[in-house]
Amino acid sequence: MPHQCTECGRGFDDGSKEMLSGCPNCGGNKFQYQPEGADISETPDAEPPEPPGPDSTVARTVGKTAASVRDFVSGSAADGDRPAEQSHLDADRAADSQPSDPSRTPDSPSTEPDRTSPTEDSAQASARGDVVEPDELPSDVPSASESEHQFRPVGADPDPPAEPDREDRPDLEELRAELNDQFESIKVLEPGQYELNLMELYDREEYIIALQEDGHYSIQVPETIRSE
Amino acid sequence: MGLLTNLKDSISRAASTLFSEEDPKRIGIYGPPNAGKTTLANRIARDWTGDAVGPESHVPHETRRARRKENVEIERDGKKVTIDIVDTPGVTTKVDYTEFLEHDMEKDDAVRRSREATEGVAEAMHWLREDVDGVIYVLDSATDPFTQVNTMLIGIIESQDLPVLILANKIDLEESSVQRIRNAYPQHETIPLSALEGDNMDEVYDKIAEYFG
Repeated sequence: MPHQCTECGRGFDDGSKEMLSGCPNCGGNKFQYQPEGADISETPDAEPPEPPGPDSTVARTVGKTAASVRDFVSGSAADGDRPAEQSHLDADRAADSQPSDPSRTPDSPSTEPDRTSPTEDSAQASARGDVVEPDELPSDVPSASESEHQFRPVGADPDPPAEPDREDRPDLEELRAELNDQFESIKVLEPGQYELNLMELYDREEYIIALQEDGHYSIQVPETIRSE
Repeated sequence: MGLLTNLKDSISRAASTLFSEEDPKRIGIYGPPNAGKTTLANRIARDWTGDAVGPESHVPHETRRARRKENVEIERDGKKVTIDIVDTPGVTTKVDYTEFLEHDMEKDDAVRRSREATEGVAEAMHWLREDVDGVIYVLDSATDPFTQVNTMLIGIIESQDLPVLILANKIDLEESSVQRIRNAYPQHETIPLSALEGDNMDEVYDKIAEYFG
């Protein structure tokens, strides 16, 4: 039991998937790693360790707050379907013990020796090899139908983003107006006609060294910024 | 941020005054377009080094990049004052290429000149912020000195605690009125001159040595 929930003390196998969605018992999401052979008490004090010294009021307040937060979290977690998830995981583990499990990823044969090696337990193997079932995920994760709004690997993108449509791009007038709002120091009325805000030009730490007709500026970055 | 930068600037300026007494002071020649800044810079440079700083023109915004003439040694009463002269583009709040079309310029050239002039003003303002130790403010005494640009620039120079010398240029013109400039900026000493004709340059050099030496 290399992992232990810091709230309720429940132990977990190395690499256990259960921890990914919080401790099934208390919903705690902090786990302590205990290397092999370390002495773990299965049922430690339910209270978080009180700071030494009863006169440490700040520490006591923090401890109390932690306790109430934990109570709140565990209360809300109790509403979830933790027991169902637990039984499902148990079933997974049972399936893992069978060498001809059809649910295994077929394209990862290199993991096979590890899965049967004596140093790895079933939870570890399950976490590494198996795909998390949809019902194990938090309910607010978008469903598969919404997956088109999620990030996709670049290589898997069937239609790479094309140049935005001509009409979608702001024309030069709009761009210029936008830039004028941002850079009040020089207003480009039209190419060759400029209004300058001297105070703004003076106040700017960087300075505009080149203007382009499309409304772009080149600025010199001040030394103070460059050196940081 | 601005306060810190100002503080940093003041400290570095104070430090440079304390520790590098021998370094020439960098004097920026500022003013509106066509006040005669380049004519003055060339006059000073020719008088003391034999070289010119840059081309002069009656077309506004001839100077579109700050030009520097280093180590100009001015001798006054047996004392030498070494300064770097920075001739800056004329500072203005509006640059319009159509103004240049009146000077027999093609539209493309006028637009380019306008763009470069705008960049030049940005550069001049930046130099004022960080790179000058004193200012010679040149005004055309034949025009109204009480403009937004002049008031703002002199205000900035005052806020930087930079020594400033106001020159009433073009006294060779009939419409010239030095008093009008004195009335507009009574807090500063105003020296009349004609950079073009070389009138009253001796007093100008006296004052340069006094203010920036």
